[in-house]
Amino acid sequence: MSTKEVSSGIFEITERGGKQLATINLVPGASVYGEKLVEIEGCEYRIWNPKRSKLAAMMIKKFNIPIERDSKVLYLGAASGTTVSHVSDIVSEGIVYAVEFSPRTMRDLIGLCDVRPNIIPILADANRPQAYAHIVEEVDVIFQDVAQPNQSEIAAVNAKQFLKKDGHLLLSIKARSIDTVANPKNVFKEEVKKLEHEFDVGFEILDSRELMPFHEDHLGVMARVRK
Amino acid sequence: MKIITWFGILTLDDSGKVVEWDMLSKDTGALAERLVQPKETNMAIPPAGFDLRTAAIECGFVGSTGEYNTLLRDVSIRAAKKQISGGTPDMGIIQAVEALDDIDDAANSLSERLAEWYGMYFPEVGLSSEPLARFVAKYGSRSNVSPDDRLYEKATSSMGAELTGLDEELVRGFAENICTLYDSRSRIEEYLIKSMETTAPNLVNIAGALIGARLVSMAGGLEKLARFPSSTIQVIGANRALFKHLRARAPSPKHGIIFNHPQIKNSPWWQRGKIARALAAKISLAVRMDVYSGNGLNESLKTELDAKIESIKAAHPKPPKRESKGGSVKGKGRSQNKQQNNKSGGRR
Repeated sequence: MSTKEVSSGIFEITERGGKQLATINLVPGASVYGEKLVEIEGCEYRIWNPKRSKLAAMMIKKFNIPIERDSKVLYLGAASGTTVSHVSDIVSEGIVYAVEFSPRTMRDLIGLCDVRPNIIPILADANRPQAYAHIVEEVDVIFQDVAQPNQSEIAAVNAKQFLKKDGHLLLSIKARSIDTVANPKNVFKEEVKKLEHEFDVGFEILDSRELMPFHEDHLGVMARVRK
Repeated sequence: MKIITWFGILTLDDSGKVVEWDMLSKDTGALAERLVQPKETNMAIPPAGFDLRTAAIECGFVGSTGEYNTLLRDVSIRAAKKQISGGTPDMGIIQAVEALDDIDDAANSLSERLAEWYGMYFPEVGLSSEPLARFVAKYGSRSNVSPDDRLYEKATSSMGAELTGLDEELVRGFAENICTLYDSRSRIEEYLIKSMETTAPNLVNIAGALIGARLVSMAGGLEKLARFPSSTIQVIGANRALFKHLRARAPSPKHGIIFNHPQIKNSPWWQRGKIARALAAKISLAVRMDVYSGNGLNESLKTELDAKIESIKAAHPKPPKRESKGGSVKGKGRSQNKQQNNKSGGRR
């Protein structure tokens, strides 16, 4: 068994020929959502399944993930905290602002925040950044996975308020929540065009790739704001 | 410019520098309270790119970035817990309604199994669902049926196999379990009736406790229901028919779950749509009274509704005449068995 750091805080574990993504467990001994824990040379890793996490899928699709050890991350659409927990592993010296709208899933997320020192839970609507602008500071990265028809607007208003100059936006676009019947390829093209031209934040698209076969009809987008 | 932050009010000059500050006390509970509901609702939010963290340290609110993180984390966890712990009575009602549906599902499939199982031993029993479960739980084998039971004759002359030993024990235990499900169902119903009467007396007065509870559950809360227009209330629960209507040329649904109201159910089909509209209008008024006025029961709604229904019945005593059979049938989505549809609820 061997490990290789493929991006800051993200590791590739090679075991019997198979490769798996993993992050170093910030809270050793604790598995968050039933993922496997592996110990290699005195260090505990949590296996990261790309089928359950769009960020992991983006990593496998060779996105150049801009999250560092000391990054400040605004995470929109945190849900129960599956991916958030891995981001929290990666930014061991940074902080994650996790925004989620549903009180029911917030319940699980709070359980996660209770045991991890670097997650700030925020129960709010990502459409209205003014509702949490008094809490969230300027961040290095925004990761967004909200499955809403107006995803790009949400990204724009949040990037405008919170993202630092030359900060990165990681976006997972779900074609089916924008238009259920249209061809996903066309929806993606439209959304990327919209991101590039429609907002005054000035998104510069660095990379965009479909997240097949891990997530059907999803496009991963990485952008930088010029502001 | 004054801006609001989670740790206090800051005054900025034109260049965005902090010139004055009004810090809150470092009490987690009070800060959490403020985080959820800032008192200064009309105050500006920090401008884009404002460095909250540095400001907090410069104003002496916290000593280090580490302290900033710890304190913000504690405060926001506390605030989030507070926000989701809002256990209002209507949330209890929603859970109870859903539990009722789950119990119905479970009890039905278990009862079917019991009917099959017990049918091996006493096929002539002629009971089903709750009466059957009660019967089996009481007697077990048909040889135990007491002479004063009305099924005694059938039990003694049954062609079924003998039920003895372990089989009897199992079947009987199975039936007892089903009985406890039915018991729990009636307890939940009692709870719903009581709880609805205290939280929404006007709604209960107009719609009845169980229909009212179902409306609350489908709307996702009493307050949400109060915000619905009456046209929505009229068709809650008729989603399939409604979307079919909006998408295709199907006729609009006349009633959703309010169909179960005796005033609609027991009326002839040509009056139902009109009564449903009147009922939904009064329901929406009733819910708003319950949510916003808090003055308890107001009987005038009920009298108005009754008068309205009377006038509908008086104005339309006979089914409308169809001018041409062909034209009328064409308008109906599923026309072949329209009469049946009204009964079985395919289109409500």
